[in-house]
Amino acid sequence: MTTTSPTTSSDLTIPVQGMTCAACSSRIQRVLERTPGVSAANVNLMTGSATVWYDPSSITPDRLVEAIRDTGYGAVLPAPDESAESLVDAQDAAREDEIGDLRRKLALSLVAAVLTMVFSMPLAELVGHGVADPLMPLMMPLTDLLRRVAPWIGGVSADTWRWLLLALTVPVVGWAGRHFYTRAWAAFLHHSADMNTLIAVGTGAAFAYSVVVTLADDWLSARGIAPHVYYEAVVWIIALILLGSLLEARAKSRTSGAIRRLAGLRPDTARVARDGVELEIPLARLRPGDEAVIRPGEKIPADGTVVEGASHVDESMLSGEPIPVGKRPGDTVVGATLNRNGTLRVRVERVGADTVLSRIIRLVQQAQGSKAPIQRLADRISAVFVPVVISIAIATFVLWFVLGPEPAHLQALVAAVTVLIIACPCAMGLAVPTAVMVSTGRGAELGILIKGGEPLERTERLDTVVFDKTGTVTEGRPAVQQVLGGDESSLLRLAASVERLSEHPLGEAIVAEAVARGLSLVEPQGFESRTGRGVAGRVEGRTVAAGNLALLVELGVSPGRFAAEAERLAAEGVTPVYVVVDGSVAGVVAVADPIRPAGREAVAALRGMGIESVMLTGDNARTAASVARAVGIERVLADVLPERKLEEIRRLQDEGRSVAMVGDGLNDAPALARADVGIAMGTGTDVAMEAGDITLMRSDPLDVPRAIRLARRTMRVIRQNLFWAFVYNVIGIPIAAGALYPAFGIRLTPAMAAAAMAVSSVSVVANSLRLRKGVKREA
Amino acid sequence: MTTADLVVIIGGVAAIAWVNWYFFVAGRQRGSTARHQ
Repeated sequence: MTTTSPTTSSDLTIPVQGMTCAACSSRIQRVLERTPGVSAANVNLMTGSATVWYDPSSITPDRLVEAIRDTGYGAVLPAPDESAESLVDAQDAAREDEIGDLRRKLALSLVAAVLTMVFSMPLAELVGHGVADPLMPLMMPLTDLLRRVAPWIGGVSADTWRWLLLALTVPVVGWAGRHFYTRAWAAFLHHSADMNTLIAVGTGAAFAYSVVVTLADDWLSARGIAPHVYYEAVVWIIALILLGSLLEARAKSRTSGAIRRLAGLRPDTARVARDGVELEIPLARLRPGDEAVIRPGEKIPADGTVVEGASHVDESMLSGEPIPVGKRPGDTVVGATLNRNGTLRVRVERVGADTVLSRIIRLVQQAQGSKAPIQRLADRISAVFVPVVISIAIATFVLWFVLGPEPAHLQALVAAVTVLIIACPCAMGLAVPTAVMVSTGRGAELGILIKGGEPLERTERLDTVVFDKTGTVTEGRPAVQQVLGGDESSLLRLAASVERLSEHPLGEAIVAEAVARGLSLVEPQGFESRTGRGVAGRVEGRTVAAGNLALLVELGVSPGRFAAEAERLAAEGVTPVYVVVDGSVAGVVAVADPIRPAGREAVAALRGMGIESVMLTGDNARTAASVARAVGIERVLADVLPERKLEEIRRLQDEGRSVAMVGDGLNDAPALARADVGIAMGTGTDVAMEAGDITLMRSDPLDVPRAIRLARRTMRVIRQNLFWAFVYNVIGIPIAAGALYPAFGIRLTPAMAAAAMAVSSVSVVANSLRLRKGVKREA
Repeated sequence: MTTADLVVIIGGVAAIAWVNWYFFVAGRQRGSTARHQ
């Protein structure tokens, strides 16, 4: 998909194939950033894509694709009108191809590995064991079987065995493991090194030595050098690393499940009315201006406005709200939501990449690929790690050659190759991105959209959560609490009838209550709205007015016996609406913004996590204090005008607190931006999604502690991953170099190192996958 | 210490020096040149 900003800069997302670790992605990113005409680049290891910001007047998209290919990785230019969903499809298809390719390469390598091991046994008996691999005895039964089946193999010469082993190794090095060498070479040309460098140098050294021995065995034997070959080590290393890559690719495809589920929400086809005929067309052919017909039980194909019909639409995928929303002509509908009971005709306004669903997918994708600050540590380590490991391997070779037992040159070669193989920094590179990806994906499933690694890291450190009262602690929609007066129903019916034409939220609350109670309302005569005071009119021949104390003063009516009651209600934060019938106060309707039950639970949950809740509101201190008491909040900042909210957040931060602001994302936007973490309550609107670091799609206050719990768990998993990846290398490299050999005679072989490396990468991915479970919706 | 040992030691030290120069010094110089262009 290509978008152009108001300036001359464009951005382009290109699927990239073959990236296996953070060093790969950071190398492609570095190359792109150095390409003339590119202003910025972000290469996403987990989604397998590169987003590039470039100046179209100085570089073309084709040249960007070429720049990626020059680094040794695959890249294809996406179609110009590609939406987020089709990009996900393309990435999925690329990943499936990659998995299939890895599977074929692994199959060949494993067969070759077993055969080389079996054939190496008779060879070792002929020329003696060079540096025996402990895995070899495992193959003994197969070798014995071979001897029984074909007793003549005892007469095969060592030379023949070596050529046979070479023939088995060439397809593995030349086809199955070819990408390690081409990528290592491409990295070398760019003065950088990654895991491919270590594999290529390690297996390359063992393979080159073995080929020399195969070609010049007599010459070497004549000079007292036993002609040992290490083909089986080369083949086993490549086979085990391919196995690790395959397991990793499969695990990664599971981590992107959240995006796929989101993308899978849209229907495949749309029914449109053209010239009075209904046609079913593929979704890709739907255009703005089309009139879509959606029958009951069908999904709405794209964003638009209802032009005909009435129905209820299940928008739970967007808002998490399980109750279907009524839709009538003029109402907007969102693509991928489910039409329940009536047929709707919808004028399509936005399709493809412009729809709300596509924007949500993009947001999740960007979040999953964004880097947490802790990742910079891993990147810095990866950048210096490989050259340092090559230096250690050279030093190991020198020490074994000079100080090691005979055959010293072989011992030195094996120890150096083992160091190179065990030190592949894959686990370190995967530690952070896998955890960020799985946890943002899990968040999206829970209706918690987290904008990537950095917000996650800041969320973990929170100690204060500031709630904006309206819409978060309270419903944000006033409702009738109580009706005081003689006959409640008739009083409410009169008040609601006169309020019918009012657009004030208090009036709407009274009408809603009357409708909910099944009261039949009548059309008021001579309706009059008195701004700031109330409304008045004639209902069934009676003069009715509803409003505040100012209205009573204007009408010259005394509140009478309701004065004390109204005073008490006001003290509790409830608004009293006086109902005047035929010149005297007949009763009071108490209206208040009801407290959300989940608000109280959220505050209690936060307290349990050691986080203080603070309420911020523009209401007067008395009302604010009563609401705060009801939800269990102790600290209240009242009488705060919208423009002062930002200063209150700053003041809390000056106290040394790490502050989250929970708001509705509109007038709270500056405070959301100022807070360490902005949490927007929203139903997927642009403002809500862009203002905060976290968007709670279901607008449920309980999602605030859930998001913090998810962030804490994620950071814990990241620290575990980094710790184990680091410890693995700190322990593995000295053992591979032979640190335990002088004292205990213990040393590793290249094949064992390859197995250990695969296990460490897979264990990091598995640890991150634990985040898919744990933080429950009910939590 | 044999001649072969000596050759391997000198070769090893030279190889370590070259690896560190190539990846850390030469790579960085190339990066900053590209940025200045």
